[in-house]
Amino acid sequence: MEFSKTMEVVMASSKLDAGISCFDIETGAEQLRLKSCASPPHGLISLSERFFVSSQVRESSSSSSGSILHWFWTKAVADVKSFPAEPISPLVSNSDGTYIIGGGCSGNIYLWEVASGRLLKKWNAHYRGVTCFVLSDDESLLISGAEDGCVRVWSLLMIFDDIGRTAATHLYEHNFSEHTLKVTDIVTGHGGCNAIIISSSEDRTCKVWSLSKGKLLRTIDFPSAINAVALDPCEHIFYAGGKDGKIYVVSLTGENTSASKYGMHIVGALSDNSNNAVTCLAFSKSGVLLVSGWEDGRIRIWDTKSKQIVRMLQHSKGQVSNVIVVHRPLNSTSQTSMATQSSASKRNASLLPPLDKYVTSTDDNDDFKTVTASQHPLSRVTDALYCSSDVMKSQIKELQQEGSTAASQLELDRLRVECKRSLQMAEQWKRMHGDLHQYCADELVDCGRNGGDK
Amino acid sequence: MGKPPTSKKQQKRGVDFKKFKRKIGRKLPPAKNATNTNIQSKAIILPEQSVASERLGLALSKKGLTLKELLQQTSHHNAKVRKDAVVGIGDLTIKYPNELKVHRLAIIEKLRERISDEDKAVREALYLLLKTVIFPGSLEDASGPFISLIMAYIFNAMTHLVIDIRLMAFKFFDLVVQHYPSSFLSSAEKVLQNYGDILRKNHIFLEDKGKLKNALGGLVRCLSLLPFVNKEIGSASDNCNNASGALHAFESEAPKKNTGFSSLVTTLEDLLQILYNCFQELTSSVHVMSQIDVKSIDCMSCVLKCIDLAVKFFILGNSSSETGFEVLVPSMSKGAEFVLGKFTIQMLLKKLLQIFPLDPIHQPSQKDDEIYYVWNVGIAEILMRISEAVDPLAILGGRFLLFIENALSAQICCSTRSSRSIWENNSVLLLPFIPRLVLRVQSDWKFRLLQAFTNTFKGCKPNSALNVACVNAIEDMLLPSNRDITLFADTSESEILDFQISWIQELPHLLVQLGDGHPSSSKVILHLLLRLGQCAPINPSLSSGYDNLQKSLTEFYSTPQAEGAMHNGPFVKLPRDCQELAVSSLYYFSSLDPLLLRSLASCCLCNTLEPFVLFRIIEVLDSSHKAGHIQIADYISFCVTLLTRFTITPENSECAANNKKNASHYRTVKAVTDVVCSCLSHIGDDATILQMLQRIMVSELSLNPPLDNKRAILRLLVLLDSKPTILPEQSICNLANSLLQYLLDAASYIPEDDDDVDYDESNDKDQMRICQYYFVPCFFLFDRSGRLLSLVLNLMGSLIAGAKPLDPSHQCNEPAFDRANRISAITSILIFMRGDMKLRRALSSCKAEMTYILQNLLSLQASNELNMNLEERHRLQLSYDQLKSATNR
Repeated sequence: MEFSKTMEVVMASSKLDAGISCFDIETGAEQLRLKSCASPPHGLISLSERFFVSSQVRESSSSSSGSILHWFWTKAVADVKSFPAEPISPLVSNSDGTYIIGGGCSGNIYLWEVASGRLLKKWNAHYRGVTCFVLSDDESLLISGAEDGCVRVWSLLMIFDDIGRTAATHLYEHNFSEHTLKVTDIVTGHGGCNAIIISSSEDRTCKVWSLSKGKLLRTIDFPSAINAVALDPCEHIFYAGGKDGKIYVVSLTGENTSASKYGMHIVGALSDNSNNAVTCLAFSKSGVLLVSGWEDGRIRIWDTKSKQIVRMLQHSKGQVSNVIVVHRPLNSTSQTSMATQSSASKRNASLLPPLDKYVTSTDDNDDFKTVTASQHPLSRVTDALYCSSDVMKSQIKELQQEGSTAASQLELDRLRVECKRSLQMAEQWKRMHGDLHQYCADELVDCGRNGGDK
Repeated sequence: MGKPPTSKKQQKRGVDFKKFKRKIGRKLPPAKNATNTNIQSKAIILPEQSVASERLGLALSKKGLTLKELLQQTSHHNAKVRKDAVVGIGDLTIKYPNELKVHRLAIIEKLRERISDEDKAVREALYLLLKTVIFPGSLEDASGPFISLIMAYIFNAMTHLVIDIRLMAFKFFDLVVQHYPSSFLSSAEKVLQNYGDILRKNHIFLEDKGKLKNALGGLVRCLSLLPFVNKEIGSASDNCNNASGALHAFESEAPKKNTGFSSLVTTLEDLLQILYNCFQELTSSVHVMSQIDVKSIDCMSCVLKCIDLAVKFFILGNSSSETGFEVLVPSMSKGAEFVLGKFTIQMLLKKLLQIFPLDPIHQPSQKDDEIYYVWNVGIAEILMRISEAVDPLAILGGRFLLFIENALSAQICCSTRSSRSIWENNSVLLLPFIPRLVLRVQSDWKFRLLQAFTNTFKGCKPNSALNVACVNAIEDMLLPSNRDITLFADTSESEILDFQISWIQELPHLLVQLGDGHPSSSKVILHLLLRLGQCAPINPSLSSGYDNLQKSLTEFYSTPQAEGAMHNGPFVKLPRDCQELAVSSLYYFSSLDPLLLRSLASCCLCNTLEPFVLFRIIEVLDSSHKAGHIQIADYISFCVTLLTRFTITPENSECAANNKKNASHYRTVKAVTDVVCSCLSHIGDDATILQMLQRIMVSELSLNPPLDNKRAILRLLVLLDSKPTILPEQSICNLANSLLQYLLDAASYIPEDDDDVDYDESNDKDQMRICQYYFVPCFFLFDRSGRLLSLVLNLMGSLIAGAKPLDPSHQCNEPAFDRANRISAITSILIFMRGDMKLRRALSSCKAEMTYILQNLLSLQASNELNMNLEERHRLQLSYDQLKSATNR
C-alpha cells in the first residue's frame, strides 16, 4: 500500500476557537484546517497519527461542560463528540492509539479504551486539576503533573491490579511534591522506568527526577516561569520555553556547568526579542527542528543546530496552546484514492464510539484482560495491538454475523484483495485470449494461404 | 727481647733503684723512667661527630630522642617512661608532620600495643595522641591496613580482664569510628557483643555508676552509628550535592548493601535483652534510694537512649529495606508487615508497658517529679515507636493515654521556670508520635488528646523547638502526605475539623509574631501553609478554612495605619526563600480578598522589596487571575495601583540632583511597567479593556503623578489603543491638558543643541535614549489621533501667549523667567517632534496651530509688558528663529 509516503506536519491548536491548523514542516505551507477546536494546553493528541483527539474547555459556557472531539485527516468537522463527567484538559494516548487518558479539572484521571469507548478506569489522582501527562517510553508508566505542584508517577499495571490496590497505601509509585506552583509540562527520557523526567513549573524552576530512585536529581532556576519543555533526543540538552519569550537551552550533561548570565546549567537562550510567552514546544521527528507555539498566535520553528528561526507560521490571533508533529499519509490528499479514503473515514467514524461518561460496572471478571491481536490490516508497523478482550469478542461476534462495521471493514479488505487478484486474473485471461486469438488467426490465415497455394 | 735484659736488670738491682720506704698516705715520687702520658695539643680534631651532634639532621622530640628510640621506649617496663615516650611521639609528629606520613604504619604497629596498657596514664596519653595528631593527620589516604592494624588490638583490649582497659578500649573504638565511619559496620557485631558482655557484669557497675555511665555513653554513640538510625541526616546531605552531580553517572551500590545484616540483628536482640535487665536493676536501685544521685540519672537516661536507638534500628531498618522501584514486584508482598526482631521488641513492649509509668515510692519532691517525668517520656517514646511498627493497639490503655495527655497539657511539672524548660524539651520528643496515636484511639480519647495538643500548641512560645515540632505534627495531621496518615484529610468528624481549623487559624498569627527574626521557623510555617493550599480542595471546610486565613495574613504583608499610610509587615524583610513560599501560597486561595490584595500592593510599592520578589508577586497574581481566583475588578485595581504609584526613590542623591537617574532604575521601572501592561492586556480583548480603563487612566494622569508613572499610564494607553484611536472625545480633551504638562516635564531630558561641543558622546547617547523613552508613548498617541496633536499644539500656543497660566500656585513668583523657560522647552519639544518621521507628517498637517504658536511668539516679542532682560529676549528670538525655520523646512 502507499502508506510509506508521508509528510511531516505541524498541527497546532489554540485556546480560542481557531480550529486545528496543519502546516508542512518543510515548506511551511498550510495544508488543511480542522474546524472548531479550542483546546487547553496538552489537550491535543494524535491517535497513532490517524485521528486527532482534542479536549475542549470553553470558558464562556457553563463551567460544567467540557467535551472531547475526534477528527480525521479528511474531514474538517469533528466527527465524534463525547461528553465526559467533568472538563478534561490534558490528554495522552499510547502509540497504538488503543486507549486515551484524560485529566480532569478536579484532579481525577480517566482512562478510556478507544475501540469501545468504555471508561475503563477513573481514579482520584491529584488535589487540584491535572495539567499535563506523559507516558514513559515503554508506556507502562503514566506521569501526571497538576496544578497543586505535584508530579505523580502511576504504574498502569497497578491501576488495573485490584488486589494490589487494596493492599497498597497509595496508588502512585512516586509522589514528587517539591514544586510550589502549577506544573506546566513534563517530558521523559529514554529507558522506561529507569529514565529521567523533567518537569517545568510556574515557580520558575525545572526539576529533573529519577524514575528509578524516585528522587530529585537537580533543580534548575530560571529567570521566568516556564511553560513548556522539550527534551533533545540525545538527552544532553533540553529546551525550556519561558513566559518572558525566551527558549532557554539547558545542559543536562557536564559536572559543573559554568553559570551563564541566566543561571546555573543554562547555556543560552533562543530569543525572538518579543515579550510574548512561549506556550508549547515540540521536536520534529528528526530531532533537529524545534517547533514552538507562542502567545501571539505564531508558530516559530527553530533549527537547533544553527539556533536560527527557519520558519514562522501564523496560526491564529489567540495564543497557541498546542503544537504536535505528526506524519501525514500523503495519499490522502491525492485525488485518485479519495474515494477509498472517504470510505475509510466512514469506517473510522463508525469504529470510534464516543467516550463513556461513567465507569460501567461489569459482571464479567475477564473484562479487562488485554489480548494481543494479530496484525491490524492497516497498520504500517508490525507492532502488536492491544485491545481488551471485550472488544475482541464483540468484533468476533460481528464477524460471525457479518453485519457490523468492523466486520464489514475486514470483509471489504478481503474483497479488495480479491478484486485485485481477480483483475490480475482477468488481465492474464485477456492476454492468453489475445495470444490464442492471434495464434488461431495466424494459423487460419496460414492454412488458407497454404490451401490457396495448394 | 726476653731473657738477657731481665737478667741484667736483676744484676743491677741495688744500684738502679733506690729503695724508698713506703708510707701510707704518701705519694711516691714518679719513677724516673716513667713515660709522660700527658697529651698536650692546641686543638683536637676528630674525623667523626659525637653522639650528641650526630642527631642534628634528625627529627627529635623535646627531650632529644629520635622516633626510633621513642618507639622502643613505648615498651619500657616503667610506666612513666612509656607515657613520656607516647607524649614524645606526639611532640615529634607535630613538629615533623612528614615523619608521621613516612612511618605511620610503623608508629601504629608499636603504639597499638599500648591500647591494653595497664597504666591508665599511658592509655590516656595514647588516646590523646591518636585523637589530636595521628588520626587527623592520616585521613586523606586509604586506611584499610591502618584500621585493621588497630582494630585487632582494640578487640583484644575489649576482652581484657581489667574493666578499665575494656572501657578504654570502647573509647578507642569510638575514636576510630569517628574518623573512619565506614569501618564501623564491618566490626559492629563484635563490638556490640563486647558491650553486651561488659553490661552483663552489672554487679561491678552497681558499685560504681560512673563506670556504667561511661560504658553506656559509648554504647549510645555506637548505636547511633548503626545504619538507618540517622536517616534524616543522610537524606539532607543527599539533597545538598544533587546540584552538581551528573545525571546519568554510575553509582556504585556496594556500600549500601548490608551484608551480614542478620547476624547483627541477633546480636542486637541479645543486647536489647541485656539493656532491659540493666534498666530493671537501675529502677529497683533507684526506688530504694531516698535521694536520687546524678550518676543514676545519667545512667538511666543513657539506658533509655540505647534501647530507643536499638528499637529504631529494628523498625527503620525494615522500612528502608523496601525502597526503590518495584513496578514488577507483585504488589501483594508489599503490604506484608515484616519487622526485624519482631518478637524481641514485642516482648520489650509488653514488659515496659507493665511497669509504665515509673512512680517514685517515697514522698516525691519537686525534683524527683521532674526526673521521673523525663524517664517516663523516654519510655513512652520507646513504647510508641514499637507499637507503631508491630502492635498498634497495645498502648491504647487508659494509663498510657492519661500520661500522654498530662504530658502534653503540662500538668506534670510546670511550676518553675527550669521545670518548664524541661517539660518543653521532653514534650518535643513525644510530639512526632501524636498524629498516629490520635488516629488510633477511641473517639473520646481522640478529643482529649487533641485538646491537650491544641493547648500545647497555643501555649508555646513562637520561636521554640516545641513550636516547630507542633507545626510538624499539625502538618502530619492536616495533609494527606505520602506518610500513610490519610485519614485526617477526609475526616468528617466535626470536632476534629474544628481542631484543624483552629490550628490553621493560629498560623498567620504565629507568622506575625515571629516577625523577620526567625526565618527558619517562619519557613516551616510558610511551607505548611503552601502545602495546605495545594491540597485544600479535598475537603470543603478545609478549603474555606484556608480561604479565611486571608484576613489575618494581611498583617503579615502590611497593615494599614492612620491616614492611609501602610506599615509593612515581616514579609518584606524575610529572606527570599521564605518570600517565595509566601507568594506561591497566594495562588491557592480560591478567591483573593481585596484587602489582602491591597496590602500586597503596598508591599510591592515598598522600596526595600527586591525587584525579583515584586516580579514574582505579579507573576503569581497573573496566573492566579488566569485560574479565576481573583475578581477582575480587584486584579485591575491592583495593576493600576502598581502602574500609577510604583516609583523608586533613587538612593544616590547626587544622581537625583543631576536629574540623571542611574540605568538600573530605568530598567526596573520599565520592566515593571512592561510586565504590568502585558498582564493587563492579557485580561481580554484590548479594546474592551481600554473602554474600562481609559477614564481612570486619564483622571489619574490629571492628578499629576511623578513623570515615570505618567509614562507608564501613557504606555498602557498606547498598548491597548489601536490606530486610529478609539479613545472617546472627552478623554482626548482631558488627555491634552495632562499631556502638555507631561511634555514640558519631559522636555528637560531633551539633549542640548549641538553648539555644546564638549558634550560627552556616550552620555549624549544615554540622554537620547532616556528622552526617547519618555517621548515615544506620546508620539504614538499623536500619530493615532491628529485631534490630540492639534489640541496640544493649541494649548502650547495659548501657553506662550500667557493666556492660561499652567499651574498658578507656584509659578506666580517669576512669571517672566518661567515663561521664557517654558517657551524654550516648547521649542525644543517641537523640534524634537519634527525629528520623528511620522510626526513630521502629522505636524505638517497642523499648519494652523503652528502659525498660532509662531504668532504668539511674535506678539510676545513685540509686547513690552513683561520686563524681560536681554538674555531672555535673546532666547526668545532664538526660539522663534528655530521654530520658523523648522516649520518652513
